[in-house]
Amino acid sequence: MARTSLTVEHIARIEGHGNVSLSIEDGAVKSVEMNIVEPARLFESMARGRVFDDVPAIASRICGICSSSHVVTDILAIESALGVTVTDRTHALRELLVYGSYLQNHATHLFVFAAPDYVGEPSIFPLSQTDPDLFQGALGIKALGNELCCAVGGRSVHPITAVVGGFTAEPKARRFSELADKLEQSLAFACKTVDLFRTFPVPSLATDGEMLAQFQPGAYPVCTSPVMELVRDGVRFDASCYQDYLEEYSQPHSAALFARVRATGLPFMTGALARINASWDNLTQTARVAAAKAGLRPPEHNPFMNNVAQAVELVDALERCAALCRCLASADGFEGSSAPVPYKVHAGHGVGYTEAPRGALIHDLTLDDQGRVTSASITTPTGMNLANLEADIELLARQLLAAGADEDDLRLQVEKLIRAYDPCLSCSVH
Amino acid sequence: MTTTELSGIGVRGQGRPARVVVASFASCFGCQLQITNIEQHLMDVLGQIDLVYWQLTDSTPMPEEFDIAVIEGAVTTEQAESQLKELRSKAKAIIAIGSCAVTGGVPGMVSRDFYERPSQVYPKVPHACGKMITPRPVSAIVNVDFETRCCPIDPYDFVVMLQRAIYGSNKLATTRTLCSDCKRNETSCFFEDGTLCLGLVTSAGCGARCVNLGRPCLGCAGLSPSANLDSARQCCERYGVDARAFDERLQLFNQTNPAVEDSDR
Repeated sequence: MARTSLTVEHIARIEGHGNVSLSIEDGAVKSVEMNIVEPARLFESMARGRVFDDVPAIASRICGICSSSHVVTDILAIESALGVTVTDRTHALRELLVYGSYLQNHATHLFVFAAPDYVGEPSIFPLSQTDPDLFQGALGIKALGNELCCAVGGRSVHPITAVVGGFTAEPKARRFSELADKLEQSLAFACKTVDLFRTFPVPSLATDGEMLAQFQPGAYPVCTSPVMELVRDGVRFDASCYQDYLEEYSQPHSAALFARVRATGLPFMTGALARINASWDNLTQTARVAAAKAGLRPPEHNPFMNNVAQAVELVDALERCAALCRCLASADGFEGSSAPVPYKVHAGHGVGYTEAPRGALIHDLTLDDQGRVTSASITTPTGMNLANLEADIELLARQLLAAGADEDDLRLQVEKLIRAYDPCLSCSVH
Repeated sequence: MTTTELSGIGVRGQGRPARVVVASFASCFGCQLQITNIEQHLMDVLGQIDLVYWQLTDSTPMPEEFDIAVIEGAVTTEQAESQLKELRSKAKAIIAIGSCAVTGGVPGMVSRDFYERPSQVYPKVPHACGKMITPRPVSAIVNVDFETRCCPIDPYDFVVMLQRAIYGSNKLATTRTLCSDCKRNETSCFFEDGTLCLGLVTSAGCGARCVNLGRPCLGCAGLSPSANLDSARQCCERYGVDARAFDERLQLFNQTNPAVEDSDR
């Protein structure tokens, strides 16, 4: 019997520390393990006993790249526990903050992490010589995401101004207009990005797992709806009862908890591809056209298409943010001010749910009558994706082995698949 | 309170660009991200050095020889501790970046009663967690030559520190506290309306970014070597702020500082 084990130690160009190992017997895949060795920082333990208004700043530190999402999600959980209702202007600013991290995240993932695989380079840096326009354009979109986060949140990583009830500072109207101009100017490059990624050949693969995304009628929601949807089953539920539908479980080979659909035991995928499947009709028109041109239409179950889906979301986010900025710049744009609204502290339980760039993000907090956290649970997109990723790696390896792929090719394709999921291991373990 | 002894010795003078590795321990990766956030100047910065290992951006494995190790993150496992010692034995200079590496930062928050904590998070602690140890900053384990403070680092502060690591600099770290920055900026003080701010004891250098945007200081730059905690507590009481809230806030980024650890007991 021929036994091989294929291991990639310390997978490069992803956020965090992880290995993958496959064991293959007589050309058949026996097991796949995503070995997540990212250090556990124990955020749930950290939050316990803390006064609620320190908690978003702590939660922000779960992840550098999607810190805005962690802050907004944590604030939503606290506001739900305390019954705080904020103004439309505050909602709009939060949306901008989350979208800012989409631009940062997607541009970083697509160009710094994923693209080198397809152009046959170990990193993005050679591109600065071979295709300077593409290199500068890629960094330009990432810079624009940072600029948006800086303008709204005060900093590109770990926003300062977002607090329970509103914002402690806000840029001037003129700044919003300037941002809108820049966002619109970047649209052409984002469309080019979709075109570029659709030309990269990917294996045909269809995940067997579920897909999870936010649902809101007539919208492409990222932080404005509490409704979760299991896209393939068409099941919708309020995020406050997520535990009835989803469950986390532990695996000895991973410091991150895995997740599955409680009723069926099926793994699931969350992220750009799931969102496109859930809300394709509500993409902005330019984004929908770009997606259609790239052959990305629901139902699309090839996880490799997550890259194209992220590129489409760049187009969508740019148009949406430009519209939000125009509206924020105009005097009668949004009702109310973003100054924090008053609220009373009392005991309560709240669930915050947003779509972070990499997928569904849940913060679940219980507060005592002093506003101190008595229990916290954080469920991240990458943690949710791990079980589905393992299943997809197994599927891919089977296909490749059947087609007679050698070990080097198998290794490269597995790494590409992992990167297509855009995992953030520091988030997943937290 | 003692200052970390920083060597200030540069690595230049070998007739080739300094070879740099970027390594990361327990952190959010945000400080590495801030390096990429130099954006339009990124290639200028990288042009001055020979970047030989950066797992976040490059699939090339870590080489045996290099000059400068840029280190992000707190040390929270035995494996990380031995990796750090190995980095120290190879590097001519170490730059610790960000609160996690410099003060233990947010990962350090759980350092008190550490061994009771993993079971609060995991029903059964996975094997993959490794041998977990009480979180500590890089300087608690090896000598550090240069530091870029704050959570996250300011990208341009890092560029300055990288220059110093290449060319050497005997410039001393500031002992000023953030309050002196606010005075210079002529901003009003949070204590006037009874709001706690850690500017009283925190190292200056960030330009009071948070205070300028309406948020009190959380202490991410670390305690100033001349911080007077007792005096700060008295100041809190004078302005109607509970001194216990002050001590609790210090735990956010400075829990592993001996001055804070001692006041816990």
